[in-house]
Amino acid sequence: MKKERTKPERRFEPCPTTKTISGVPINKLYSPENTEEIDYQRDLGNPGEYPFTRGIWGDMYRGKLWTKRVFSGLGLPSDTNKRWKYLIQHGETGLYWQSDAPTGHGLDADHPLGEYNAGVTGISFSMLKDFYDYFDGISPEDISLSQNTPTMAGPVIYAGFITYAEDMGYELKKLSGSFINEYLFSALTMFNVGHFPEELSVKLSTDVIEHSIKQTPKLHPLAPNPYNLADYGANVAQEIAFTVGIIREYIDRMIARGYNIDEFAPRVNVFGCSCDIDFFEEIGKFRATRRLWAKLMKEKYGAKDAKSMRIYLSAHTEGDSLTVVQPVNNIIRITLQSLACVLGGLQSFDPCGYGEPHHLLTEAEALTCLNLHHILSHETGVAATADPLGGSYYVEWLTSKIEEDMWKLVDEIERMGGALKAIGWMREKLEKESAKRQEELETKDRYVVGVNEFIVPKEQEVKIDMDKYRPAGEQIKIAEERARQVRNFKMERDKKTTKNALENLRSEAEKGEKHNLIPAIKKALRADATLGEIIGVIRMANGYDYDPYKMIDYPF
Amino acid sequence: MERKIRVLAGAPGLDCHDRGLLYVSSELRAAGVEVIYIGTFHTVEEIVNAAIDEDVDGIVLSYLNDDLYMIYFPKVMELLKEKDAHDICVFCGGRIEEENKPVLEKIGITGFFGQGTPGEVIVDHIIERIKRERRCS
Repeated sequence: MKKERTKPERRFEPCPTTKTISGVPINKLYSPENTEEIDYQRDLGNPGEYPFTRGIWGDMYRGKLWTKRVFSGLGLPSDTNKRWKYLIQHGETGLYWQSDAPTGHGLDADHPLGEYNAGVTGISFSMLKDFYDYFDGISPEDISLSQNTPTMAGPVIYAGFITYAEDMGYELKKLSGSFINEYLFSALTMFNVGHFPEELSVKLSTDVIEHSIKQTPKLHPLAPNPYNLADYGANVAQEIAFTVGIIREYIDRMIARGYNIDEFAPRVNVFGCSCDIDFFEEIGKFRATRRLWAKLMKEKYGAKDAKSMRIYLSAHTEGDSLTVVQPVNNIIRITLQSLACVLGGLQSFDPCGYGEPHHLLTEAEALTCLNLHHILSHETGVAATADPLGGSYYVEWLTSKIEEDMWKLVDEIERMGGALKAIGWMREKLEKESAKRQEELETKDRYVVGVNEFIVPKEQEVKIDMDKYRPAGEQIKIAEERARQVRNFKMERDKKTTKNALENLRSEAEKGEKHNLIPAIKKALRADATLGEIIGVIRMANGYDYDPYKMIDYPF
Repeated sequence: MERKIRVLAGAPGLDCHDRGLLYVSSELRAAGVEVIYIGTFHTVEEIVNAAIDEDVDGIVLSYLNDDLYMIYFPKVMELLKEKDAHDICVFCGGRIEEENKPVLEKIGITGFFGQGTPGEVIVDHIIERIKRERRCS
């Protein structure tokens, strides 16, 4: 009788990959002939030299490591403060502020649609007073802040941040970090075209840039977020090219307001990218972006200052690449993505928590992220030399190919009259790409281990202690407590003072595109106006409903 | 001629994730189902009222962000019952934790289309259940 044998089915299986995730065909071999067109001085340059392909700092990580950040923002303001302190103690070198859903929508924590939502997926910001709780025992002079709120809420949070710093006696010139403060990419992904007023959002964000170059020169007041485009399915060329198209809206507006490119470009040169799972493609993307930005600044805008021509790249590892099943596999993915960030020469990155598909980072996940940073920087030697993959036939060829694909889209958007005019076209492209990604999974044109290949029966799955962040019942209690805080605040403030400040803001907001609203927003915050009220009043002054969801009225 | 199957696709609360909803809607349409797509950022009341006004056979709910679907989805079922419309089949997808599935199943929700579920599986499940429960054919 023949005995059954356990045989490896895949013993002679070749690598199934024939193209990058974005669809660039990959040869089996790259050699000098693939890179003969590349000229070192013209196309690469040393790190710190135009066109910055190899990095924006001469010494790269031997001079200073990347900023080690961890995605954070949770619960009540005091919860976030506690987590920030925990992260700093374990070696985080830059703060990360993720706003919760109501804040992200520009709603106060007590807005009816935001019921149950305050503090659930990020930081709840409703009033100036909140800053005192977030930053209790932490000085914004000591650590940079990466503030991630798209939409019209971004400018209000910026105004709150600097008002808080002023009132506490901190030097505005020492404040550093970046504010996403850019709405168009969210109009393409998280919301939809037309959900919030795009022109008005762009105007407010431009106000922040203008204010910042004078008052907070170390801050990056506009840091577009290509991450969300990638998260929506964008391929690498789309991710960067659409973002370049978007930021040109702001650049063009600043120029229209009379500023010279070199006066503000060094302040709007941060991109918060994604880092997805195609290892070399991501590295090629980062290098191509640096070169593209340098050329764009120099050739299209006539920048003279090297600081305008170099782009700071930061990244959040791609959440969509992680799996709900077997979270332990996500540690592996996040590690490889973080390695790509380092080899790509990024200035800052924040790895996802391995439980990201399930919940906000637990302490265990946050600590693991930090340890990942430290292992990369201190154990592996990958940071010891600048751009270690420079000169690789494949990587240089791929960098050039990706750059070429990016320029095609940048030029197309320019031809269409800019990102605002091209916004419908961009959204269509994203939806197409998103559908393509899903189809690829189903046809096995693309693999995700544990999802469509190498599937493990449930009872054999590797289980790790998924320290449950917060079940729905607890989340609600926090949201209710937070809503209560905000309601009490509104009741107890001097309503007359608040009303006057909001009326002042309204009349300022009627003064047209070029009139900077940041001073009036600061006044309103100091008079205890809330986020929702400030945005609402600016909306009304521009002919929109006070509340984007038409559920509440202007309270004064 | 048999009336086309009608399904409402929407998401409650402030969760912005709509790729899944868009994908399911286009797959359903390709299979001949009429989809009334209301998308994200709706209250439970808006979803239920729209479903009743549009006289749908089914509602597809989607949620990813956090665990608040354990509040929203049961509220949808409650409200449907209150309005005497609980014969509408309710399906859900997104990120539904294993331990929550039996709780939702008990109140009549099925599907639980998570990451990587093939379009065909989703469409077959929806059409088959609607035919079985509402068309008796």
